[in-house]
Amino acid sequence: MKTPAPHPYLPTLVGQLQRQELDRREFLRTATLLGMTAAAAGVLAGLPAPAQAQAAKPRGGTLRINTTVYDVKSPPTATSTAHPLIYSQVVEYLARTGADGVTRPHLLQGWQPSADLKSWTLRIRPGVKWHSGRAFVASDVVWNLTRLLSDEVGSSVLGLMEPYLLNKIDTGQVNDKGRKIFRHEWWSPRAIEVVDTMTVRLNLKAPQLAVPEHLGHFPAVMLFPEERGVFGPGSIGTGAFKLTEIQPGRRAVIEAVRGYWGEGPWLDRIEFIDVGGAETAIANALVSKQVDGAFQVLPDSFAILRNQAHLKFYEAVTSDTAVARMNVRNKPFDDARVRKAFRLAADSQKVAELTLGSFASAAEHHHVAPVHPEYARLPAFNRDVEQAKRLLAQAGYPNGVDVEIVIQQNPPLHLRHATALQSLWKDAGIRASIKTVPNPQYWDIWMTAPLGITVWAHRSLGVMNLSLAYRSGVAWNESGYANPAFDKLLDEAEAMPDPKVRSSKMAEIQRLMQEDGPIVQTYWRKLFTFYDRRVIGFEMHPEYSVYCNQLALSAA
Amino acid sequence: MTGFLAQRLLQYILTLIAGSFAVFVATEFSPGTVSSKILGPYAVQSQVDSLSARLRLDDPLIERYGRWLTTLAGLTDNPMAAKEVGLGLSDPRGTRYVGNLGFSLMLKEPVIDVLADRIGYTILLTVCSIALIVPIAFGIGVWCGLKAGSLLDRVLSTLMAVLTALPEFAFAVGLTLVFVIWLGWLPGTSMMLPGDKWGMVSQLVMPTAVLVVASATYVARIVRASVVETRKRPFVRAAELKGLPPRVVVVQHVLRNALIAPVTVILLQVNWLLTGVVVVESIFAYPGVGSLLLQAALFGDIYLVQALTLMALTVAVGTQFLGDLCYMALDPRIRVA
Repeated sequence: MKTPAPHPYLPTLVGQLQRQELDRREFLRTATLLGMTAAAAGVLAGLPAPAQAQAAKPRGGTLRINTTVYDVKSPPTATSTAHPLIYSQVVEYLARTGADGVTRPHLLQGWQPSADLKSWTLRIRPGVKWHSGRAFVASDVVWNLTRLLSDEVGSSVLGLMEPYLLNKIDTGQVNDKGRKIFRHEWWSPRAIEVVDTMTVRLNLKAPQLAVPEHLGHFPAVMLFPEERGVFGPGSIGTGAFKLTEIQPGRRAVIEAVRGYWGEGPWLDRIEFIDVGGAETAIANALVSKQVDGAFQVLPDSFAILRNQAHLKFYEAVTSDTAVARMNVRNKPFDDARVRKAFRLAADSQKVAELTLGSFASAAEHHHVAPVHPEYARLPAFNRDVEQAKRLLAQAGYPNGVDVEIVIQQNPPLHLRHATALQSLWKDAGIRASIKTVPNPQYWDIWMTAPLGITVWAHRSLGVMNLSLAYRSGVAWNESGYANPAFDKLLDEAEAMPDPKVRSSKMAEIQRLMQEDGPIVQTYWRKLFTFYDRRVIGFEMHPEYSVYCNQLALSAA
Repeated sequence: MTGFLAQRLLQYILTLIAGSFAVFVATEFSPGTVSSKILGPYAVQSQVDSLSARLRLDDPLIERYGRWLTTLAGLTDNPMAAKEVGLGLSDPRGTRYVGNLGFSLMLKEPVIDVLADRIGYTILLTVCSIALIVPIAFGIGVWCGLKAGSLLDRVLSTLMAVLTALPEFAFAVGLTLVFVIWLGWLPGTSMMLPGDKWGMVSQLVMPTAVLVVASATYVARIVRASVVETRKRPFVRAAELKGLPPRVVVVQHVLRNALIAPVTVILLQVNWLLTGVVVVESIFAYPGVGSLLLQAALFGDIYLVQALTLMALTVAVGTQFLGDLCYMALDPRIRVA
């Protein structure tokens, strides 16, 4: 197959880097998104080559990591970032976003987007083999993507890629509850093509910058087609490990395989240990060395763990957050003045401190974080109680409003968050009562409750969460927000590969969210954990990913 | 006796049916559906509706309960395991057998396997705890009862009252701070997994200690009160006046007649230890049925909650039956009708 030409925007990016209009990290992130290899981008950005680290790691040993051990029978239906920790060591992604925010090809060798970002040519990495010995080829990619985007499987990847790869068809039927029955299909017979045995092409119905990030979405692993989508102990993958044992809720064990195509594996075996939901149990297990590391640690345990000599602290600045989301289909949130009043009555800095202390920074109610390459710095959004009261009065609520805010039971920081908001809102006449529900039950009502606090995980680009959460009619639009002006701006932003150029568009979007949007967003989280000092190669990832093939254990 | 046993068996079956139906009805009013719990919060509505149709979840409550009962009785297949449903769930025993409790929505495993793994640990903790609770409670309770009013009796009674009132979680946290964080003598969790650097015995120490303190102090107070009360009875005075040795008076006359109340309380403690030690199991990550019930209830895993309810009812009925037999053994005047 003829090698496609590099994206026409790359020379512009290189120029910006040379004129220092773009920092090295932003250059690296955008250049790799547009198909430049990470190595080449790193050289241009003047970064040191990472390859030497491979020779330095000791081999052997068993690592024990605390995490929730979920069932792994169906990775495509994984429901949280904790879910893939186990199965992603066995079956892998086409692309991976590193702890540095750079998305790199993984099972792919690279990709080339067209100039208009509507066609993406994906090149399979040569030399990647399944554990069975068969080569990983283009038809495996097509089989998996087709399955991930099917209604029957029920994967969240469908909701992610629906806007640019699928059509939603009204079957004309209704179910017993009176709801219309929809089905999805490829928007075009050419939406996905096998170009040759090592090349797949995606033809999109709309430009999309974040295709590589989406290919690394946590349920989007490449399963072995011959196993027909059922995953379990002994399943074949392309990863550095094989799953040998799993007891959901208790323990899972993976063991190293020979002949892995990538780095490592250095360890012989990894055990994933589930201590149940109690945060104290995680801290206790780390202190008494029953586990060598934890998937995540919450701030309540920091004080005890930081004094343990055998533990090392790891932290990542992220766009992980929780939004107080107003459902615009319900009064009083159908009025933009009320929504803005709720934002004006809050004090982001105070709420961030009260909720997470030093492990949070103030947010600005628009869901685009300073860590995002296209973040636009706006004038400070200060608390203004008098303005909030005036807006409420103009909207027909001169005596304030009574609302109920629904939160998840765990972790306890949700209650601190809600209590802080409740206390600040009171000054503006917003009387909020707090309703706590068990976590699984929150997810049954997150799309319908008039006011609720929803956690949104980190995503590496600012446009990604905006597209998932606030675009009209998308599957995860919990607020029911439908603003054509917002959609148009977002469409334009997603077609702009240059983060600097995109940032000026993002400024408009961010201002619109502050003026009209459906959220009160007060903090960005810093995620952290502790690992034993003997563990080599660990990095705290903003999406909690752990690449176990890179981990090793030193002797002492 | 045969009639008594038959009556009890019938009561047990009726209790199980009533209890399981009550749980089924209660879960009808909990948010969400089986499909949304299986697929998670990020599945779109069309995906949830599709799975609901395949599982026939929109059938009337009575039909769905009937299906659950007939699956349990081994008369019908478990629909969740059907190939056309596409969940990929499998049960090594097949899809139709007596005692088929279905699949856990949370863990995607057969409920019977999930329970089997946990029940053993619960029984272990119960046995270890009871093995300490009974001698400690009876030792202290009998001694205090015989020496009622003495200085040591007053001190011990006050101490027992304080320890009974102390919440389990407070005591557990206190033990953890001292023995795990400060001294490092014991493990912080009791996961009971092979390969742990801490042995199984050391992992059992702290959960057992918390349960023993919580239960033994309470039982000891009951024993003391019962002994004090029995010692006042005329037949005990008569035995003393007959010149019987004190040891014979205590063992053959006082204790035997004082045991009925303590036996009742101990059987209640067994009931609690087998089904309800949620706090201790959660704090120490002990893999028993108590923490499993909490997680299942919070998740809305109706099949697991059903099974655990049936188990709790079985334990309650069983301990009640055992209690009746003990009363008959202790007091010949008590006979079944």
